[in-house]
Parts: sequence; C-alpha cells; structure tokens
Amino acid sequence: MAKIVILGAGISGHVAASHLRRKLDNTHEVVVVSPNSNYQWIPSNIWVGVGRMKSDQILFPLAPLYKKKNIGFKQAKVTSFFPEGDSDNAKPFVMAEYVSEEKRGETEKITYDYLINATGPKLNFEATEGLNPGTNKTYSVCTYTHANHAWQGLQALIGELKQGKEARIVIGTGHAKATCQGAAFEYILNVEQELRRQNVRDKAKITWISNEYELGDFGMDGMLLSYGSNIMKSHEMVEMVFEDRDIEWILGAGVNKIEDGVAHFETLNGEHKTIEYDFAMLIPSFSGHGFKAFDKNNQDITEKLFKGFMIVDADYTPKPYEEWTVQDWPETYQNPSYPNIFAPGIAFAPPHSISKPRKSPSGTEIFPSPPRTGMPSGITAKLVADNIIDSIMQQKESLHHKGSMGNMGAACIASAGFGMTKGSGISITTFPIVPDYKKYPDTQGRKLGKTFGEIGLAGHWLKLALHYAFIYKAKMKPFWYLIPE
Amino acid sequence: MTRRISNFKRFVMMNPIIQFFRFLYLSIKVLLIVAGGHGGTRKI
Ligand SMILES: Cc1cc2nc3c(=O)[nH]c(=O)nc-3n(C[C@H](O)[C@H](O)[C@H](O)COP(=O)(O)OP(=O)(O)OC[C@H]3O[C@@H](n4cnc5c(N)ncnc54)[C@H](O)[C@@H]3O)c2cc1C
Repeated sequence: MAKIVILGAGISGHVAASHLRRKLDNTHEVVVVSPNSNYQWIPSNIWVGVGRMKSDQILFPLAPLYKKKNIGFKQAKVTSFFPEGDSDNAKPFVMAEYVSEEKRGETEKITYDYLINATGPKLNFEATEGLNPGTNKTYSVCTYTHANHAWQGLQALIGELKQGKEARIVIGTGHAKATCQGAAFEYILNVEQELRRQNVRDKAKITWISNEYELGDFGMDGMLLSYGSNIMKSHEMVEMVFEDRDIEWILGAGVNKIEDGVAHFETLNGEHKTIEYDFAMLIPSFSGHGFKAFDKNNQDITEKLFKGFMIVDADYTPKPYEEWTVQDWPETYQNPSYPNIFAPGIAFAPPHSISKPRKSPSGTEIFPSPPRTGMPSGITAKLVADNIIDSIMQQKESLHHKGSMGNMGAACIASAGFGMTKGSGISITTFPIVPDYKKYPDTQGRKLGKTFGEIGLAGHWLKLALHYAFIYKAKMKPFWYLIPE
Repeated sequence: MTRRISNFKRFVMMNPIIQFFRFLYLSIKVLLIVAGGHGGTRKI
C-alpha cells in the first residue's frame, strides 16, 4: 500500500492532498508536512492589506480538517531529501524538523513511496539589502501576517494624512528579478481606492515601481488582448487604468537597497536613483528554499534535485531568448532522476523566464521572473495527484495527465478596489500562459478570443465569489471537487 | 498616447445592472477557459 508525502499546504500541496485522499482508499496513506498550522487563501491578502478583510476570513486551521479527512499532518519543515534512503533506511525519506509547540525542534525521517514537493517559493527578502517587511516604512502582503502589518502601517499613514500631512506611497517590486507583479498591481489599486474612500487621496502621490520593461508585462511578456470591441496591448490597458487613478510609474527599475523610507534602484539605462516614501509595499524576489539532497552513501546530490527550485521534466539547456519554445516547459512535473518525486506549483524550476531578459549597461539583469499564479498551481497539483493515483492503481508508472503552461489558460482577476457597489476588478485571461509564437504568430503567441481584459464592478464580484468558492473547496465541504482549480 | 476611460465607459463599468450581466458573462467565459482543459506541447 502506498504512502504519499506532500510537502507544503499552500494551493498546490492542499489541492494534491485533497484529490489524493478523495480518490485513494484508506489503505493508502496521504501525509502533509507543512510548517504553517493554517491554510491561507493568499490572493485575498490584498484585502487584508487595506483593512477590508480580517486575516481570519482568509485562513483556517489545517489539523482538524486533515484529522476528519484522514490525511496525516505534521507541522514541520523539511530540511533535506534522501531519495535513495540512507545506510539505516532502504526507503526514500525526507528529513523534517517540527515547528509545532509540542514537538518544536524534534526531527523525523519521513519515508515515502511518492513525494510531492509543493513548498512554493522562499520569500527572499535578504536578496535586497534593508528589505524586511514592517521595517524602513516598507511592507509586504505575501502572507497574512505581512498583510496585517501592511494595514497597520497604511492605517497609521492615513491618520497622518487626515491631519494634513502630504505623503508618497510606492508599490511594486523590491528586487531586479522579482515576480508576482500582479499582486503588487492589485495592491496599488486597492490602496488608491482606500485613500479615496477615506477622503485623503489628494494628500498622497502614488508611484508604481517595477522591474518590468513595460507596464502590464506581469512577468508574461505582456499580452495582446481583446477589450470590448478593441484589441489592445496589456501595457495600454494598465496605462489607461494608472492614468485614470493618477498613479505615476517607474519602469525597468531593479531595487537593490532599502533605507528608512528610501528605495535605491538601478534602471535599465544604467542610472542609479533613489525614491523617498512614507509607505511602500515591495514584493521580494522568490527563490528556492535551499534544500539539500543526499544519496544512500550520504554524498551530496543536490544538483540532481534542485536548480534553485526543483528540477522537473523541463528543457533546461541554456539558449538565447529567440530559441525559447513552449516545449521547454514541463508537462508532468516529475523529477528526471527520481521518478517518484514531483514538484507542482511554484516549487518547480522554470526553464527560463517568460519575459524577455534585459540587462543594464553594468550587466544587472532587470526583468521579471516567471510567475506561477494560483490557477496553474492548482491545475499542476491535480495532474500530479492524478498521475500518482493512476500509477498506484495500475501498479506501473502512468504519466497520462499532462499540463504544460504552454498549453494551459489562466484567469487572473485583479482586484482594483473593494466594495459591493464601489469595488472594481480587472479580469484578464490568457491562453496559453507561456506564449506559443509558432501556433499564434500574429497575436503575440496567444489566442485572442481566450486572451481578454475587462474592467468593472463585475470583476470585484467575481473575485469575491472566487474567494468564497475556493475557501469552500479548500475546506473540502460537500461536492468541493466540482469547483475547478 | 495613453487611452482614457470615458465617462460613458465609467458609467458602464460601475452600473450594477449592466455589471450583473457582465458578471454572468465573465463567470461563464472564465469557466470555459478553465474547462477548456490543458495538455502537453511535445509531440511523441
Ligand atoms: C499577495 C498575493 C496575491 C496573489 N493573488 C493571486 C491572484 O489573485 N490570483 C492567482 O491566481 N494567484 C495569486 N497569487 C499567486 C498565488 O498565491 C500562488 O500562485 C500560489 O500561492 C502558489 O501556490 P504554491 O502551493 O505553489 O505555493 P504556496 O502557496 O507558497 O505554498 C507553499 C507551502 O509550502 C510550505 N512550506 C514552505 N517551506 C516548507 C518546508 N521547508 N517544508 C514544508 N513545507 C514548506 C508553506 O508553508 C506553504 O504551505 C498571489 C500571490 C500573492 C503573494
């Protein structure tokens, strides 16, 4: 009988665990190892960061749910991988260190038949000097704790604006290779709306700072999209929204140092500049967790498993931008050296960026890393779970389920402000996520009918509906599996 | 030159009745993209 161990209980880890448990009978063991005792619906952190939702509305404790559903749960963080076992253990295992109060510091070798690494990114604040959420007037909204801090900081500033202070707010990316521009984009629009709601908008200048070459790149090389009866580029759409909201922008900026209320950055044309602010939210760079791997003789084999993130069935051969193809992107998220290890969601190493790489004259790479949003994270986790289920049932390896980001659509509903009548959302869908320039040569690598943008109140309602639907699904309430990833 | 959101567009964007129908349309469109499926890209 098989034991499947899932590392991480974020979108991918939780999706994989819940599908495995639903489809495999109880003779098979499903175990989740994750340091956070709660599940959080990360996209709604944007609303926590502007005080429109409380963090307890976006999270719930995992242990009671997993107990009820017969999913094993270890509140621990994995530190190293032993895919061949070691001298004492013939079975592969991961070494985990408990972080729960009762067992803090204890370690355990957790054996497995199949391993799903869904540990997402490490929020690599250290890569930017002085970038530490909650200090230097600089915040993050990447976790609910960060978002709570951000709201405290913003609330204090709004108080000062009401007293007549004038201020500058800076929102965007905090590193030359950061990703997740979409989250920063949502946050800037929500902050702008919150200032208007509190009647202090005229007191604050709001500036977007980003490593993107053009607005609306979003780490996806931008897109050509249909907008009503028009066809426009994503940069035109974002420009239109920023103009409308009186938001200034700085592009091609690699933030490299933060001091108290000051961001230092290098631009693509080689200038070194600073911007002062009273409040900033800057997304850090994402990196792998720095896991180590060892063979059965305790020799370091980290490079067989990791390239920063986990190595999967992608084509990692270095090649120039012009030679990149969608075929480089993974389809099954299986590690080529150890076929019982998979890495869906953000945990897999992408073959290259999606945005065109660009360098400043001094050689600093300034461009977004590839994003992996919630929808592909869920889809890739489900297909990994389905392949494992098939392999267990058929008692031989089955990799029938495939899902390349070059043949998968994504819907991104970016909140542009909260409120049942005053809210707004920018709904953007793309197909495929990674542009396929061969298949769609005339429309910037994407299928136009499936790549569209829409702005308005309906977008807010949709985002709110998705919030409730995905929390319902994550809680595994009746018929949860009918809600697609 | 940057495009601008006209007053009429803004009315359409924020009118709850029009937006209710946009909501239904958007939900279906997003669902179709998700349900449209996914697959590999490599020929075997
Ligand atoms: C503010 C914000 C807003 C966003 N908004 C949207 C949106 O509107 N739409 C959208 O599609 N996407 C959005 N995203 C992106 C989306 O949240 C990610 O794509 C998604 O969370 C990735 O899922 P994941 O499971 O791969 O990683 P994560 O969600 O990061 O989960 C990783 C898990 O691994 C655990 N873990 C970490 N280290 C270890 C370890 N050593 N051992 C074991 N477990 C470990 C973590 O505790 C966590 O449970 C947003 C992201 C942010 C930050």
